[in-house]
Amino acid sequence: MTGTLISLISILIGIIAANATGILIQKYSYGVIGNTIVGVFGSILFIKTFGRLGFNPWSIMNNGDFDGFRLITNLVVSAIGGASGLVLAKMVYNKLNKS
Amino acid sequence: MEDMIFYDRLQFAFTITFHYIFPQLTMGLSLLIVYFKWKYLRNKIEKYNDSAKFFMKIFAINFTMGVVTGIPMEFQFGTNWAKFSELTGGIIGQTLAMEGMFSFFLESSFLALFIFGEKLMGQKLHLLTGFLVFLGSWASGWFILATNAWMQHPVGYEILENGKFVLENFSALFTNPWLLPAFLHNQLASVVTSSFVVASIGAFYVLRNKQVEHGKLFLKTGVIFGLVSSILVAFPTGDWNAKNVAKYQPAAFAAMEGIFETEEAGAEIVLIGQPNMVEKKLDNKIAVPNILSFLTYQEWDRQIVGMDKFKEEELPDNIPALYYSYHIMVGLGTVFMAIMALAAFLLWRNKLYTSKAILWSIMFLVPFPYIANLTGWYTAELGRQPYLVYGLLRTTEGVSPTVSSGNTLFTLLGFVALYMLLGLLFLVLVGKTINQGPKHQTH
Repeated sequence: MTGTLISLISILIGIIAANATGILIQKYSYGVIGNTIVGVFGSILFIKTFGRLGFNPWSIMNNGDFDGFRLITNLVVSAIGGASGLVLAKMVYNKLNKS
Repeated sequence: MEDMIFYDRLQFAFTITFHYIFPQLTMGLSLLIVYFKWKYLRNKIEKYNDSAKFFMKIFAINFTMGVVTGIPMEFQFGTNWAKFSELTGGIIGQTLAMEGMFSFFLESSFLALFIFGEKLMGQKLHLLTGFLVFLGSWASGWFILATNAWMQHPVGYEILENGKFVLENFSALFTNPWLLPAFLHNQLASVVTSSFVVASIGAFYVLRNKQVEHGKLFLKTGVIFGLVSSILVAFPTGDWNAKNVAKYQPAAFAAMEGIFETEEAGAEIVLIGQPNMVEKKLDNKIAVPNILSFLTYQEWDRQIVGMDKFKEEELPDNIPALYYSYHIMVGLGTVFMAIMALAAFLLWRNKLYTSKAILWSIMFLVPFPYIANLTGWYTAELGRQPYLVYGLLRTTEGVSPTVSSGNTLFTLLGFVALYMLLGLLFLVLVGKTINQGPKHQTH
């Protein structure tokens, strides 16, 4: 069940990463609200897609044996997901709103 | 074992309560967004378009929080309720998968198009995307309610020798007599919440003398939608639901109405009273004779079976919680009708925008539709106890046998901490959006 908690922590890391990316690279920022929303979906997308390589929340718990390395990998990928989501969303937005 | 069930139920109650704060707003709000956009297409007044885009921002924040808090629910079916999932997965898996595949994808895809694509698509297609978001969110409610309706009143199933439930008639899931009234009642209740949110933001702007034109529009729209929906949520949909409970779950009906003893003829309706579980009676009761029989069966002298006619193990296991949940829901629903009727009267007399008392009341009433919605769900879920699938699968039979109560308590504490953080983030984001206001919305 701790796996469920890890998945929530992972999403929070995605939110933080997206907001940090928005602050560091202003041209990709949607403001706090937009960055937070994109961070959630970016991190879920990345963890759902790549987590099966061995660092999804269930593998981290590994039937009760906690694996710290996998947790760190999960959080890093989640952060990448949040940040990449922001860049990807901005690219889609720019394409859709090209005048 | 009892400890395990208690903590599993507590954890599910906590996570689903927190989760349902968000979808109840998105479902109702999507209808109001479509209304604002449609009005803009008709009259080309910019403030309607601003309003649609402003509330879509609030919708998006709620939707995102709904997704985050929905993930633990999905996992909990497997972690805490593994036996239930194993035994009934062949049936509830259908509707839950349809909710994900059809509604969630429809809603999220077109939400992105609504937010990003106005310039590219033009106004008519922009309205269409808003309508598809509305359709997705209401379809989501339909599939979840279909799942719950099957648990409340199982239909179209067959039980195999190994105890597993399998679907015998797919269409029965959607023609379940429990489903339509529950769906309509639930969706209209979410419109009540959204109307109060829209009206209260309007009241806030008018009271602060900030973005007043938009504030007046929000107030007017919220009050009209709020009045209509708070009436419809009581009658016919609430009445229809209560009749279904009386017909299919008579023990739950007796408990939620506080009928401890069966009267010879004609059951009274209890307005106020506290269940005394030791003496099996209501203390300090204020009741109106024969009304419950009339409301339920349109016969003044019709007997309604009380809790004394049921075996102890057939009765809901927390009668006071069920009784209070139901009465809080009904009481608040009555308050909503009264306050919205008064506000509509003042709107008609052109006095709403200057009546500070009603504006403050609307603003501070905003948490109460949420409470009414949640207590409505508590009524449905506590009333179904002691069963997970009414009459067929008891709650004690659905729990995961290998998960300890300590493990559940630990993760529950984790959820509480993380949800507090998420709740705070939600309040900051919504507060920021309201503070920015709807004027000249850009994405």
